[in-house]
Amino acid sequence: MELFAQQFTNGLAVGGIYALIALGYTMVYGVLKLINFAHSDLFTLGSYLGLTLITSRLLSGLGPLWGTVLLALMVMGMIALTGALLDRAAYRPLRQSPRLSAVVSALGASIFLQNAIMLIYGARNQVYPQNILPKMTLSAFGVQIPLVRILVLCSSLAMMGALYFFVQRTKVGTAIRAAAIDQGAARLMGIDVNRVILMVFMIGPAMGGAAGLLVGLYYGQINFTMGWSYGLKAFTAAILGGIGNIPGAMVGGLLLGIIESLGAAYVSLAYKDAIAFLVLILILILRPTGLLGERVAEKV
Amino acid sequence: MNKSVFLLLSICFVAGTAFAAEPVKIGLMGPITGSWASEGQEMKQVVDLLVEEVNAGGGVNGRKVEVITEDDGGDPRTAALAAQRLATMGVIAVIGTYGSAVTEATQNIYDEAKIVQISNGSTAIRLTEKGLKQFFRTCPRDDEQARVAADAIRKLGVKKLAILHDNSTYAKGLADETKGLLAGEKGVEIVFFDALTPKEQDYTTILTKMKAVNPDFVFFTGYYSEAGLLLKQRKEMGWNVPFMGGDATNNPDLVKAAGKDAAAGFYFVSAPLPKDLPSKEAKDFVAAFAKKYGNPPNSIYPVLAGDGFRVITYAIAQAKTTDPDKLTDYLHTGLKDFPGLTGKISFNEKGDRIGEVYKVYRVDSEGRFILQP
Repeated sequence: MELFAQQFTNGLAVGGIYALIALGYTMVYGVLKLINFAHSDLFTLGSYLGLTLITSRLLSGLGPLWGTVLLALMVMGMIALTGALLDRAAYRPLRQSPRLSAVVSALGASIFLQNAIMLIYGARNQVYPQNILPKMTLSAFGVQIPLVRILVLCSSLAMMGALYFFVQRTKVGTAIRAAAIDQGAARLMGIDVNRVILMVFMIGPAMGGAAGLLVGLYYGQINFTMGWSYGLKAFTAAILGGIGNIPGAMVGGLLLGIIESLGAAYVSLAYKDAIAFLVLILILILRPTGLLGERVAEKV
Repeated sequence: MNKSVFLLLSICFVAGTAFAAEPVKIGLMGPITGSWASEGQEMKQVVDLLVEEVNAGGGVNGRKVEVITEDDGGDPRTAALAAQRLATMGVIAVIGTYGSAVTEATQNIYDEAKIVQISNGSTAIRLTEKGLKQFFRTCPRDDEQARVAADAIRKLGVKKLAILHDNSTYAKGLADETKGLLAGEKGVEIVFFDALTPKEQDYTTILTKMKAVNPDFVFFTGYYSEAGLLLKQRKEMGWNVPFMGGDATNNPDLVKAAGKDAAAGFYFVSAPLPKDLPSKEAKDFVAAFAKKYGNPPNSIYPVLAGDGFRVITYAIAQAKTTDPDKLTDYLHTGLKDFPGLTGKISFNEKGDRIGEVYKVYRVDSEGRFILQP
């Protein structure tokens, strides 16, 4: 039982990161029906920008709590801008083209970003300073949880909560949802769809950038290729929860983390990913739209 | 009539001088991008430095040496394309590459094109068991490494051993080989044998699972990125089991990722580090490298690529030919105790390097790699 609880919490922490990244995939897909392959590299970029800000000691006077919060906001802001730039450069010119062109452009943007990071920061692993977050381990009922893990999980849940509120309750959020349902009709209702898309390309990457920062702060070691593995998992999580659906991405991410962790613990370590993808296939067979995916109404 | 003879002669003459000036082309195939890019980029730095030295000394057989670098991305498919490109460029020999699975994807391409291949980091056993005559390697093989690892495990008095690999050709081979060597013995019980997924960052699931069977020693046969994270997360769990790694964990980045306190006490089996190379050639080389690039080489594999380059240029000079068959014969039988940067180099009939190379290292509390007696 202790082992189960330990593995469950292990899975939750990873799942929280998956969920944060999955939000970016799902939001873009919801509005544009486009898989933004460059999203995983924006996540990596978030990690690297965080490292640059930390080593520049710009925020060192602020203390660990406010320093980290401000750091997170700065990284999110910068990644949001990069996301907007990406939309302008790689996707907006192709908005009227066939969808495949945009997908190819997304792949190109991904390769560009990944290699740009390599050229700027070098190919070797980079390491975050070790003493930013407090090193404490809580233990309850025989389960050992480092405090940082709880912080990672809580901050990802808080960000997801804030995003959910934003999309459901605010005017801009309503516009995003409207554009996701039908761009043409949304435009007729006076919604500036291009602006909505720009918004989506800022919010999604900001979440991804925050996830990148969390990964850097918690795991410490970052690499310019790390986006690939996280991106694949997060994309899977988005599909698992129902792509295009925001709560779906959150549920899918957490669930995928837990499935992986428990599958590795009780079935086989080496087949950890195979188990996760098997579950994905089963869920897609039973519910082709994903766990929380809405049935897509035929557009007449 | 006279005119045409003159024309013919002058054509011969022009062609002749052109031939003499034609540089000796040697390929370098390494992971310049991708997850092993730090190794590949250093390989290029090492070989670039050596080419400069050779050409400054007049080249080989009066011909300049030109190195053509192709990026294999650390990926077998990219490597196959890189090998095909190099094969069409008239290279005599290719140095590289690092990962075993990557090298394996290119072996047949070079063999068919009659190009000598000298790998610098691919230690998987089967690469030299295929009977490919033109394949050599300056690094030792995993069975040798496994033997040294098993010896170290015995010497440390391990009773319950956990072996963890990452399913790559190299890591699984080393894990299987070590398991085979220790399986029959009474003193050592292998309580855990499984694989992790490389390039992830959270290995707490694996550590939790491993801790449940309570081993008193862990042998991880994968790469340094994962090893650093394993050590760090092990420490965070408050678990103090000693770890040992294979030669792919030999990289100072491991200590940076794990932190000095978590890395302290970590053992690894490896060819000697550049700084521990004893010969004069090696000391001069490390100094020249540091002078040119600002830091000494980090990893031994780029230096082994340098040895591959030095061996092939030496062979061309000694055999006075660039004919692949003659070069191959020379490398198999003619080359004896060549003073390489990493020690004496000779090859056996399979193309494997002869002699003991592996040593056991331990990380001290300052994060330095200390050669164990």
